[in-house]
Amino acid sequence: MKLTAEILSRDEQQRIHDHSLRVLWEAGVQFHSLKALKLLAEAGATVDWETKIARIPEKLVIQTLETAPKSFVLGARNSSYDYPMPSPHTRYTMDGTSAFATDFETGERRYGTLKDLERGVRVFMAADMGVMCWPPCCASDAPDGSRPLHEFLTMLRFCSKHGNHELHHPNQVPYFVAALKAICGDDDAVRQRKIASVVYCPVAPLMHDAEMCDAYLDLGAYDVPILILPMPATGTTGPASLFSNIVQGNAEALSSIVLYQLARPGRPLIYGSASGSLDFASGGFLTGVPEMVLQTAAMAVMGRFYGLPNTATGCVSDAKATGIQAVIEKVITTLPAVLVSADLVSGIGEIETSQNLILEQVLIDNEIAHFCERLHQGVDTSPQKDLIEDIIHVGPGGNFLKARSTRVMARSDEFYIPQLAVRQSYENWLALGSPDMRDRAREKVREILNSPLVDPLPEVVSREIDEILREADKELSAEE
Amino acid sequence: MIEGLYQQMKQSVLDGDYELAETLAKKALELGIDPLEAINNGYMPGVNEVGQLFSCGEMFLPELVQAGEAMKIAIAIFEPEMARRGSQRESLGKVVLGTVEGDIHEIGKTLVGTMLTANGFEVFDLGVDVSVSRLIEKALEVNADLIGASALLTTTMIKQKSLVDELKAEGLDKRFKVMVGGAPVTQEWAQRIGAHGYSEDAIGAVAVAKRLVGKAG
Ligand code: B12
Repeated sequence: MKLTAEILSRDEQQRIHDHSLRVLWEAGVQFHSLKALKLLAEAGATVDWETKIARIPEKLVIQTLETAPKSFVLGARNSSYDYPMPSPHTRYTMDGTSAFATDFETGERRYGTLKDLERGVRVFMAADMGVMCWPPCCASDAPDGSRPLHEFLTMLRFCSKHGNHELHHPNQVPYFVAALKAICGDDDAVRQRKIASVVYCPVAPLMHDAEMCDAYLDLGAYDVPILILPMPATGTTGPASLFSNIVQGNAEALSSIVLYQLARPGRPLIYGSASGSLDFASGGFLTGVPEMVLQTAAMAVMGRFYGLPNTATGCVSDAKATGIQAVIEKVITTLPAVLVSADLVSGIGEIETSQNLILEQVLIDNEIAHFCERLHQGVDTSPQKDLIEDIIHVGPGGNFLKARSTRVMARSDEFYIPQLAVRQSYENWLALGSPDMRDRAREKVREILNSPLVDPLPEVVSREIDEILREADKELSAEE
Repeated sequence: MIEGLYQQMKQSVLDGDYELAETLAKKALELGIDPLEAINNGYMPGVNEVGQLFSCGEMFLPELVQAGEAMKIAIAIFEPEMARRGSQRESLGKVVLGTVEGDIHEIGKTLVGTMLTANGFEVFDLGVDVSVSRLIEKALEVNADLIGASALLTTTMIKQKSLVDELKAEGLDKRFKVMVGGAPVTQEWAQRIGAHGYSEDAIGAVAVAKRLVGKAG
């Protein structure tokens, strides 16, 4: 059977749900968007227009959970990367929007640029466990008013897997939609293909921002999926126990589901979380710790409780450098999410609490993902793997190298063959200059960057996107 | 006897015991103790100790915050009597603090405020999503020494520059010192925009603020 983990009993899931309903009704949720408040009031929430707090009754939660799609296909520019959710196996997103990037050549840590973003997503293309891209770093060299558009479209230009990012303001929506149409063909294709989605963080505790919320309501007309990502931290923006911080995060997720389903029933949503653990000594937001992934894995289970496609934050680290701490933290924050079978784990390629993009790390994390997948697959006792006849045939003192089954198994999913691990004999390894996994990752990154672009956009589409961005720079930077 | 009372006040702060802090303040009033004496000899030493212990990693954030809160509760009890006597607490300086417009990341900014308060600054925390003009208005209103601006997004860091530029344009850059911070903010950025001070964490922010108001060491 598969190696799996149980993190919440059915009864515990029900209690988290019931507590969340109490929070939504008794404390309510603050919405800074007037549009959102109106929708909620019309649908039967009790709205205090002064404080902008909507108290959400159970029936709205039930009603909107019913209209939220239980499955859909996360499309990709290259349809061979389409990812149907829910998925029988766990796949990965790129980690997103660090302020800094480590220069591949000089090793210097500096503000990220469009070029870093481009290189990051090209490496992500080669990470076979990655299905959902996210601009790995912010583009400090793009104009302020249109920066998220530059980031979004540069990602879609250089990566043909599904792309996820954010928009900050409704004024960015028309440009984004125009670009999606340029890529997909027309409105209908945009709706059907779903090659891009947006990430939405409710503001912990229990609040919703105005402008991002309005932008995402506008995108509803195009069925752009939303990845809902509450991130309360135990002890600062959330209560100081894992159980109760899960309750609050779940209430924040439910309030987002209610809003976006009321606005457009049937719009695809992904239930996710990026809850944090507090460093009590500094106030820092910790991600590379057991207390983080216990929450996100539990919330992935809550996503399933509601029958929704899900994602869990994992494969993350607070280490300031690559190396032992980073890898330990990444492994322990990946495995639980995989063992509860999250559809997506978010995400690979960064350290420093998602503030530093390191190209080699994308491939190292991809390797961690493979190892965890192999663990999850567990011990397969199906007839194909039952080799008792070989044991009897070989008998005492022989060996199995001549057995047909050995040849077959050596190239089957029974054994994961690593892409980076170093397994030479000692002398050979010395002769090669004592390479470690990071050196091998560097080699591969260099290879990828020197290879031709994978799935480049057609020339006309590329030019159209340039034009859209020029227009956005002119209009949106002027508005600033 | 008074020494014993001061000792208890300090302990109430160390323990974050709001009720005790309040009871002791009332008791001091009954005994006719000068509120300023009680604050400076009773509660402040507690807050200072917690601040120090926090800086070297021995006390935790909730303990720091609750120490500050206990003192605040005591001060509220003393306020009417202080007003009657016309006495004022001395502070290291006044700091107007906020997270810049378009940015709602709250925790880092609040922590900086807590540490500054614990170390003797008077802090006016305007919250999150605060415009440059509101920061300046408040600084003028309270006659601040320092303006602290927090930014957590690379898209909102630019508002820290707007603040510095606006102060220059209004000829206020000599009057108010600007201190910036937030996860994506670096020393290099602070220098580039012409901010007077930068720190990467709340503990460092205290040293920087002291330097900027000329009270270093
Ligand atoms: C928690 C969090 C949130 C919470 C905040 C909750 C709240 N009420 O505060 C929520 C969920 C609301 C949130 C929302 C968003 N967030 Co956020 N968030 C974070 C996270 C994980 C931790 C921030 C934190 O609380 N840290 C703990 C405190 C103690 O640390 P700190 O803030 O850095 O402060 C310390 C120092 O910087 C310094 N300091 C801070 N301010 C000041 C000021 C002065 C004067 C001085 C001297 C020092 C100083 O001292 C502090 C204490 O030591 C960071 C990741 C990260 N690595 O920072 C992302 C992060 C900042 N967020 C990010 C993003 C993208 C967003 C969203 C756009 C996401 C979305 N799509 O919805 C929204 C934006 C909303 C908005 N308009 O602002 C990105 C920023 C990308 C970028 N480089 O621009 C980050 C880096 C995560 C990532 N990699 O994607 N976020």
